[in-house]
Amino acid sequence: MAITTKKTPVIKLRDLKKRFGIGDAETYALDGVDLTIKNGEFVAIMGPSGCGKTTLLNIIGLLDRSYFGQYELDEKPVDSISRRKQAFLRSKQIGYIFQNFNLVPRLNIIENVALPLTYSGVPRIKSLIIASDILKIFHLNEREYYMPHQLSGGQIQRVAIARALVNKPTIILADEPTGNLDSRSSHIIMEELAQLHKDGNTIIMVTHNANLTTYATRVITMLDGKIDTDSHDLAKPEKTKLKRPKVKKTKKKLAVKLKRKKR
Amino acid sequence: MTRFLIINHIHNAQQSLESSRVRSALTMLGVTIGVASVTAILALGGGAGRVINDQINMLGGNIAVIRPGATVNPISNITQPQNTQGYATSSLSKSDLEKLKKIKHIDSVSPLMTLGGTIKADSPAPANTKILATTPELAGISNLKMREGQFLGSDINENSAVVGQQLSVNIFGTESSIGSKMSIHGQPFVVVGVLKPLNKPINYNSVDYDNAVIINYSMGEKLNKNNSQIQQIDIKADSINNLNQVVKDINKVLLKNHDGEKDFSILVGDQISQPTSQLFYSIAGVTAAIAAISLFVGGIGIMNIMLVTVAERTREIGIRKALGASNTDIMYQFLIESLAISILGGIVGYVVGYAIAFIISEFLVFSPAINWQVAVTAMGISIVMGTVFGLYPAIRAARSDPIESLNRHN
Repeated sequence: MAITTKKTPVIKLRDLKKRFGIGDAETYALDGVDLTIKNGEFVAIMGPSGCGKTTLLNIIGLLDRSYFGQYELDEKPVDSISRRKQAFLRSKQIGYIFQNFNLVPRLNIIENVALPLTYSGVPRIKSLIIASDILKIFHLNEREYYMPHQLSGGQIQRVAIARALVNKPTIILADEPTGNLDSRSSHIIMEELAQLHKDGNTIIMVTHNANLTTYATRVITMLDGKIDTDSHDLAKPEKTKLKRPKVKKTKKKLAVKLKRKKR
Repeated sequence: MTRFLIINHIHNAQQSLESSRVRSALTMLGVTIGVASVTAILALGGGAGRVINDQINMLGGNIAVIRPGATVNPISNITQPQNTQGYATSSLSKSDLEKLKKIKHIDSVSPLMTLGGTIKADSPAPANTKILATTPELAGISNLKMREGQFLGSDINENSAVVGQQLSVNIFGTESSIGSKMSIHGQPFVVVGVLKPLNKPINYNSVDYDNAVIINYSMGEKLNKNNSQIQQIDIKADSINNLNQVVKDINKVLLKNHDGEKDFSILVGDQISQPTSQLFYSIAGVTAAIAAISLFVGGIGIMNIMLVTVAERTREIGIRKALGASNTDIMYQFLIESLAISILGGIVGYVVGYAIAFIISEFLVFSPAINWQVAVTAMGISIVMGTVFGLYPAIRAARSDPIESLNRHN
């Protein structure tokens, strides 16, 4: 899962709006979202229910096409990408982890994990071999031929993560990945995601649990279809306020202090 | 972006069908019945056709047959019985016969006129006994061989008759009935010859010679109140190479004689070999109707089950789309599943159809034809059914919205 860590914007959203209903019942699930996510970021999106987190994730994941505004994926406007190509991108570039796991119940574990490979044109046998390899990483190789209902919640979510990663995607979208898990399983899953981030993947995670934001490099809170706060934006003004020479001086002073301490 | 998903789709279809075996089997049953009916009709029809074809080929292939009425299209030819004995007046007349005899390259011409009426002899004749009035040339054209005695001829008495062997046994109690007397339409006749058994009740003349009385054409006219009711004229060309020219000439002569009205048809080769048995056509017609209804109902069954399957798997469709399946991928997945049902049903239907055909053929004089055309037709029907009736559910599945599908709880 090693990818380039060059900080280029992978996702760029400009004045993104998503409307539900018509006439009197018209509501905006997203009401002018501007967001740029760079390569290798671990973004946690928080907010109350109905604030548009999942809708935003669905649009980023190319599942929802009916929106207003601009969406650029890898600096390419999504509107200009054909439906078929978008489907291909979903299988190659994007890995989706759902809250309720969303494994296909009538397929066994290995076939579930191999699904994205199938749609990116990998022959059946080869795709099963790759799926088996990735299940080994998640310590699930002994459960390859189990059916989803025979596994525990934590195991199923690990299968779902394995499936999301099988095509080596650069963007991983996780919609409340620990929402249906106990704290122990949640911890394991979050460690897995943290490891993926260390490997250089871009992770966008929707969560209700504030504790999980500690794993993220950037936290966005949403309210009524708009971005309320963004830790990225908060950092910027501080940086501009502090003049660089001052920082350098502080650094030098600190370095001198440290040297003295060591002696 | 080359994708080879067919194997996956087939695997998927297999899993899906296996997971609901009873439902799949019941859905297949509709296709099976339809395809079995079609297979049985074609196999038996082909068998009957082959019998006549063999006869024509055996006779040298230089036979042409003229029948009253314009040529009908092949479909109604299959589904409608030919009017060989109906109340309609035949458009072929004695004057046609005279004109035909003058055409070049024609070796012999023989009119066939079947009459109704009772035959009285030592024992009464079976109800389906045919009285055929014709000319001596028929023996040459149809290769009729004598068991004993002689065929009709200009040199013998007008009241002579030739009988089939089986009829001879039925009405006189013996195979050697020469000299025996009988009456047809109240007229006395004397048996001058008994035909060799042919055991070919189906032939291009629509006459079961083993159970027929053959009398002189002129006598037939007399019995029919001097009306010539010609059901068919058999023509034998002097060579197979001249047959085409002969057919053209016949067409010209008859058109002229009929004031330009094309109220006759000239058949050669395969056209003659289309089975002429009325009973066969009636059975084939009924079976064809059953097959059509069964196929339609079977198709509706496939569509119904596929719609249920799509509804049941809406969430799966959403997951697959989220993982990279395009609309086309989803459409093919469900289309291949419906094709799997119809093709499997078709294969079973093909086997059952032949089993039925072989059972029926036990009661007939010919065996069903086994040829690639029947197999291709059965397979073709199955594929067309699977595609036509599976397309709508497949398109519906492909067009479903991924987010709505993912939110569906089933």
